[in-house]
Amino acid sequence: MENKGYWCFQLHAHLPFVRHPDYPDFLEEDWLYEAITETYIPLLSVFENFVYDNIDFALTMTITPSLANMLADPLLQSRYYAKLNKLIELSEKEVLRTLNLPQYHQAALMYEQKFKNCKYIWEKYHGNILNGFKKLQDEGKIEIITCCATHGFLPLMTNETAQRAQIKIAVKDYEKHFGRSPKGIWLAECAYTYGVEKFLKEEGIRFFFMESHGILYATPRPKYGVFAPVYCPNGVAAFSRDMETAHQVWSADSGYPGDPDYREFYRDLAYDLDYDYIRPYLHSDGVRRNIGVKYCRITGKVPLNEKQPYNPQWADNKARMHAENFVFNRTKQIEYLNGLMHKEPLVVSMYDAELFGHWWFEGPNFINYIFRTIHNTKSCFKPITPIQYLDMFPTNQVCQPSASSWGDKGYFEVWLNPKNDWIYKHLHKAADRMVEIASENRNAQGIKQRALNQAARELVLAQSSDWAFIMTTGTMVEYAEKRTKEHVYNFTVLYNQIKNNNVDEGFLSNLEYKNNIFPEIDYKVYIKE
Amino acid sequence: MSENLTSKIGSQQKAVNKSGLPFDYGDTKITILPRDPICIFAYWSISSGFVENLKRQYGREVFNDAKLVVRVYDTTDVMFNGSNANRYFDVFVTSDSNSWYINVGEYNRCWCVDIGYLTTDGKFICVARSNKIDMPRYGVSSVTDEQWALLKVEFEKLLKISGVGSIGMSSFDVSKLMRERWEEIVSISLPSSHSHISSLSSFKTHPSYVPQQQPKEDKSKNFWLRADTEIIINGATEPDASLTLKGQPVKLSADGSFSVRFYLPNGEDKYTIEAVSADGTMKKSITFEVKKDTK
Repeated sequence: MENKGYWCFQLHAHLPFVRHPDYPDFLEEDWLYEAITETYIPLLSVFENFVYDNIDFALTMTITPSLANMLADPLLQSRYYAKLNKLIELSEKEVLRTLNLPQYHQAALMYEQKFKNCKYIWEKYHGNILNGFKKLQDEGKIEIITCCATHGFLPLMTNETAQRAQIKIAVKDYEKHFGRSPKGIWLAECAYTYGVEKFLKEEGIRFFFMESHGILYATPRPKYGVFAPVYCPNGVAAFSRDMETAHQVWSADSGYPGDPDYREFYRDLAYDLDYDYIRPYLHSDGVRRNIGVKYCRITGKVPLNEKQPYNPQWADNKARMHAENFVFNRTKQIEYLNGLMHKEPLVVSMYDAELFGHWWFEGPNFINYIFRTIHNTKSCFKPITPIQYLDMFPTNQVCQPSASSWGDKGYFEVWLNPKNDWIYKHLHKAADRMVEIASENRNAQGIKQRALNQAARELVLAQSSDWAFIMTTGTMVEYAEKRTKEHVYNFTVLYNQIKNNNVDEGFLSNLEYKNNIFPEIDYKVYIKE
Repeated sequence: MSENLTSKIGSQQKAVNKSGLPFDYGDTKITILPRDPICIFAYWSISSGFVENLKRQYGREVFNDAKLVVRVYDTTDVMFNGSNANRYFDVFVTSDSNSWYINVGEYNRCWCVDIGYLTTDGKFICVARSNKIDMPRYGVSSVTDEQWALLKVEFEKLLKISGVGSIGMSSFDVSKLMRERWEEIVSISLPSSHSHISSLSSFKTHPSYVPQQQPKEDKSKNFWLRADTEIIINGATEPDASLTLKGQPVKLSADGSFSVRFYLPNGEDKYTIEAVSADGTMKKSITFEVKKDTK
């Protein structure tokens, strides 16, 4: 069929840096372990099978520097491996226990197979799945992009040097993990503010993503709306989100993930089983919390105890149907746009990666069927990455995009409201101070250099937008507040020691051991130009 | 919009315990941040030494009835020097406040503010001047580019399908969606021990979920009893032997012991355990016959 347009699929994989070597068992580290089992490995597995089956596909994926640092960390790797082995042990027991429960037995077998597949992939990459994603990128199948170093929220930073440092640190770290420079970036929370494109250009980054109104409200008005990228005045390209595809997946009424045949997120085995039996698989405090094994389907609007058994085959059928529907809708959308624009439109769909698999259990399989459907039906549009698009269509309109984000209401309120606004006084002060001590010590050596590097780590960790986000959403606020205060405090102590030329090596070494993000960080990125 | 010009969105008393962090850094400074196209957040600190100096300079009595104000300047398209703003307005803030949300009342402008004292005779004593900010845009630009012009009707169609009507919908919706689903489940579920907090999901997808206390049921009407059965089979063999139960392989612990549990349905069933030695030459088996009859 004649090609009528392009579809750009972007997944944003991110978790804040959570690593607590001083505790044997730490609840918030589960964010990573759950995401590996439920999202990252299933996605990697889907992509690898595309290659194996010769399915054409193109997609873009952020792996944020903080996530990459955790995935590459030996301590977290070994902790994950131990957790996964426990899950496998449980799933084997469950296969036996459910022999007399045929309605749950298929689901039990599915989990056993799923966890064992995780182990297979984990071992294949010797515990570092970044190498799996890197391999796909090296083969030209996916485009991995970077993000602000610690998901720092650029529009609410007042110090330009500190904004730039979030980009510079990210680029260096990307090169270490992926062996080349990043071509694109996901600005944390999709938050663009005037002037950041300057820092992107300095680092050779050619494009970034935006929320729809960032482009719709651009000056001059964008001829093709969100269906073609624009160039910022300095030549960095901005791609913006199509709302229709966003709603198709996430709308409360018509979105796919609420289908009755899909797995029910809220009915977890940890609450259903006998305490003594499940106890070895809980955290050391023995409190029942979700363990990620769930045997029921959404069923409908019924109480939890009336949820019906999950049928893996039904769910698989639905994932295929929904993927076919998604492709059909893109076909109609792209044909319509093509008629209106008199050129090939570009539809950009972007999502948090963790929502596929973690919340929407069948999400990775849905992605699987999307690309297979596009491939097999010879549809009228092609999947494409932003770089492939720019190489094919180098002429685009020049506009000044509007500051915006993909947060609630479209601007910065999620990260700036009475629940979290107190942090900015401290973050701004710390950033100014970091620039001050870096500029005063242009060629520090030895322990002072180490202290300056650690101060930079503490600053970027404090700047993570996740803490302000959590304070707003209201779950686990205490942890987010603690992290903010702790990193600002650590920074401030180091600042004073550096200013007074009396760095306490014990204090410093302990921080280097605990907060070891970006082992190669160079404080010189904070020297004021 | 203009009647709202000086309306304040309000500053909130914060009871956040900031132990370990200083209340302020002894600076005399004001900073502004854009919250959205219409609202600025300003925070400031004024050192006591600075105020003392002002009092010496202007006379103590001047400050007795002076009001603390944030003076907001529209600096769009000007190189602001303190006196060439397009216009300004004052926001009166309480003397013990150190931050304020300010509704600027007009879209697509640039702003700068001063914090200072307004004396009873109308004199403004500036304490500190802020950074300058250019607000996020609101609304489709009226500026068009000749080279990239599209017919008006076609552009309007494109805008519509670009989602100009649904701005502000976001990935945040997902968290709302998750929360609504959970609330719906809670509202129709019987009391149970389920509290379903998964750590990643509570971070990524649902804000402020707290397991809710169920309303107390009227016990006389809802008296209930549940019972069911499982069977646990345990034992031990040589640690290097292989073991099957009902034909399914079972992993042995390091000491050769094993423990397996099954759901026990009604009726009769056989559980045959078979162990085979590591070299495959020896074999032993035990069979349990189990009958469950629920009455």
